[in-house]
Amino acid sequence: MLRLLALTVCGGFLFGMSLTANAAEKIVITGSSTVAPLVAEIGKRFEEQNPDVRIDVQTGGSSRGINDARSGLANIGMASRSLKDEEKDLKGTAIARDGIGIILNAANMVRSLTDQQIVDIFLGKITDWSAVGGKAGPITVVNKADGRSTLELFLNHFKLKASDIKAQVIIGDNQQGIKTVAGNPNAIGYVSVGTAEFEAGQGTSVKLLSMNGIPATVENIQNGSFPLARPLTLVTKDEPSGVVRAFIDFAQSAAVHDLVKEQFFVPVLP
Amino acid sequence: MRESRAFDLSSPRAAWRDLSLQAAAWFAAAIVAGMFLWLLFDLLWHGAARVDWTFLTTTPKSSGRSGGIAPILASTLLILFVAIAVAAPLGLATAVLLSEYTRREGRLGQMIGLSLDVLAGVPSIVVGLFGNAFFCVWLGLGFSILAGGLTLACMILPILIRTTESGLRQVPDEWRLSAEALGMSRATILIHVLIPVAAPALIAGLMLGIGRAMAETAALVFTSGYVDRMPASFLDSGRAISVHIYDLTMNVAGGDKNAYASALVLIALLIIINGIAVALADRALTRRVSAA
Repeated sequence: MLRLLALTVCGGFLFGMSLTANAAEKIVITGSSTVAPLVAEIGKRFEEQNPDVRIDVQTGGSSRGINDARSGLANIGMASRSLKDEEKDLKGTAIARDGIGIILNAANMVRSLTDQQIVDIFLGKITDWSAVGGKAGPITVVNKADGRSTLELFLNHFKLKASDIKAQVIIGDNQQGIKTVAGNPNAIGYVSVGTAEFEAGQGTSVKLLSMNGIPATVENIQNGSFPLARPLTLVTKDEPSGVVRAFIDFAQSAAVHDLVKEQFFVPVLP
Repeated sequence: MRESRAFDLSSPRAAWRDLSLQAAAWFAAAIVAGMFLWLLFDLLWHGAARVDWTFLTTTPKSSGRSGGIAPILASTLLILFVAIAVAAPLGLATAVLLSEYTRREGRLGQMIGLSLDVLAGVPSIVVGLFGNAFFCVWLGLGFSILAGGLTLACMILPILIRTTESGLRQVPDEWRLSAEALGMSRATILIHVLIPVAAPALIAGLMLGIGRAMAETAALVFTSGYVDRMPASFLDSGRAISVHIYDLTMNVAGGDKNAYASALVLIALLIIINGIAVALADRALTRRVSAA
């Protein structure tokens, strides 16, 4: 019985080695968990058109994507933001855009907040909804975990420091943010507009606030008028070439716009 | 006189205490059972409509919002296979060393025991990061089912060794002495007496390990990875079912329904594997008893 088991394992390994040896070019892509489902779908379509290429997508966050692209662990990194100044040695290509909107529980009476009110709420200077025209109740601030590019974009836009934010709940992914706010009538958070719009349409009890009077909609992100938006970026160490080049070009092309929309992102216009 | 009254069983106070203790025990058991039933009912309510043969045999579409989970099931079972194939012999050998070749109070035995207990308490995300650094990067296995299985093996080894060890220790010393008196060598005693006797414990340990491994997410995201293609070899990256459920609930808008369905499949798999293990343990036990 044991011998059989050992034989099977060895056989399996050999079988595995031989297959991988024959396998054609493999592109490894790691990074942002926001971008990963989209790139995985684009990868599948690319594989269909190029049967000798394999695209392996792994997650771990934008910082990981940038590090892996720089160290060569991945052929392409994924980041849900544009490259920072100290990352300009890398090459970044936007494949879609994503907007970030402030969300409240649908039961919340507050219709709009000024930038200053949002800042004060996240700094803990306003702690009760009655101060901004809502029904009295303690505000639950839902913030993103460190290293999330949604957090960085939010901080940048409102000129805040991560350590100054007084949050009651720290979340990771978009869906987690929506679920937290939907389950707490006094919560305020910020998540991807496309996701929030979809969930609100599905009856989840969240609502998106306008920013500077501009409604948080997919249209306004595409036409660039919505202030809080970010590009979803593919990152390579050098100027891409060969199959990697072909894949990045494909990911930007109109041939994948349906996939971009399916993930509730906004296609980039060439 | 006061002290003795507390133990007077006929007094109404003692009877009331007996009754309330019994009620508390029943209540606690009802809460535990109720929680499991609630969870199961919740999964069935949201997921049962989606689970059918097509769901089990097709590939995920649109990031898992639609389509099935065939490649994910295949990856999960392959990862589990690697983990068990590696952990079972290693675990059995270590348990034999601990119970048969070291003294319980001995320094070596205590050191191994201590390191096992520490290892058992390591959070799975730490095991995952170790697996990523050691198996994926240092050994060059990359994101692969092999790396994921080996990482899980590290995770389930402590629990496997501890249960098998206690199973071996429960064998009465008279058995060992009788076997030696019959002139059997130590290896023969081990293979023909001790291991068959400890088999139910080994299987129980494996069961606990499999339960932990099947439900593991954190240790697998960074080792076996995120790729939801049908794996062609142990060196391919493959998404485990728990990673799939996590991604669908946390990352994919509109993935909730398939997440429930996948979770239901996971629970069903666990129950099936549990059933097989119980049957195996029963068989090992009856064979042992009838042989003896």
